[in-house]
Amino acid sequence: MRTTFTAMTACLLFASAAHATGLATCDSGPKTGWQPPAKLEQALKDKGWTVRKIKEDGGCYEVYALDAQGKRQEAYFHPVTLEPVPTKPR
Amino acid sequence: MHRGRVTGPPDGGDDGAAVRVWPPVVRWGHWALAACVLGCLLQRDGGSWHERMGYTALALALGRCALGWFSSLRHLRFAAFVHGPAATWAYARALFTRSEPRHLGHNPLGGWMIVALLLAVTLAGASGALYVTDRYWGDDTVHAIHRFIGWSFAVLVPLHVGGVFLTSILQRENLLGALLSGRKRPAAPGDIDLDA
Repeated sequence: MRTTFTAMTACLLFASAAHATGLATCDSGPKTGWQPPAKLEQALKDKGWTVRKIKEDGGCYEVYALDAQGKRQEAYFHPVTLEPVPTKPR
Repeated sequence: MHRGRVTGPPDGGDDGAAVRVWPPVVRWGHWALAACVLGCLLQRDGGSWHERMGYTALALALGRCALGWFSSLRHLRFAAFVHGPAATWAYARALFTRSEPRHLGHNPLGGWMIVALLLAVTLAGASGALYVTDRYWGDDTVHAIHRFIGWSFAVLVPLHVGGVFLTSILQRENLLGALLSGRKRPAAPGDIDLDA
């Protein structure tokens, strides 16, 4: 039982660690050159999006949001230019 | 044990007297469920295939639960293979002295593994379905719960497969084959056929 619990905890920690999904990668350089995520959030809000979460993935900003049409979006943006980044279809 | 060639293999092989234990719905359901769980882990970053396989797994698990409650086939019923702590512990102890009885259906430890796996699939499916609703899209808590349950398969499945492997060796019976053919060798004296 203790082994099971330890293993599950280890799995949780492992799974929680940030990992690159490979859906998109951005050649974005050091973070000092990045624009703050708040700026991206504001830009998307201005487009009518409801932003739920912004995290980093593959050097990009990964955004969970509902777009202006209310459709669920998992979209990637370049952290320097804040331009949308196409993702691999899946 | 003497392995007579004329009398047929004693290890649950394809002898004519084998009894049908697992009907096709359970066998096909099992392998489809296993494929969906594995597929979801391989496609662990989500996407349309992850969702399709997740919903299929959820439907299969709920279907198996329905069989467990309502099927007239005795080996499929939860009441036949879910044992209390005392009986489960007794079986686990008997394993160490190699005196465990052979169960034609799930043994007590295997029964709890079935319950754990079905519960995990149901919770994973439900939390995943919740995550892709507009309301919980991007929700960290729902995501964390879904991920935790998802990774629990990385613990449960090896234990499940290990248990099947161990029981196959101890009982000299190919349980993997039994889940392909549905047949097992008939109950001998001392074996437990109906647990209820």
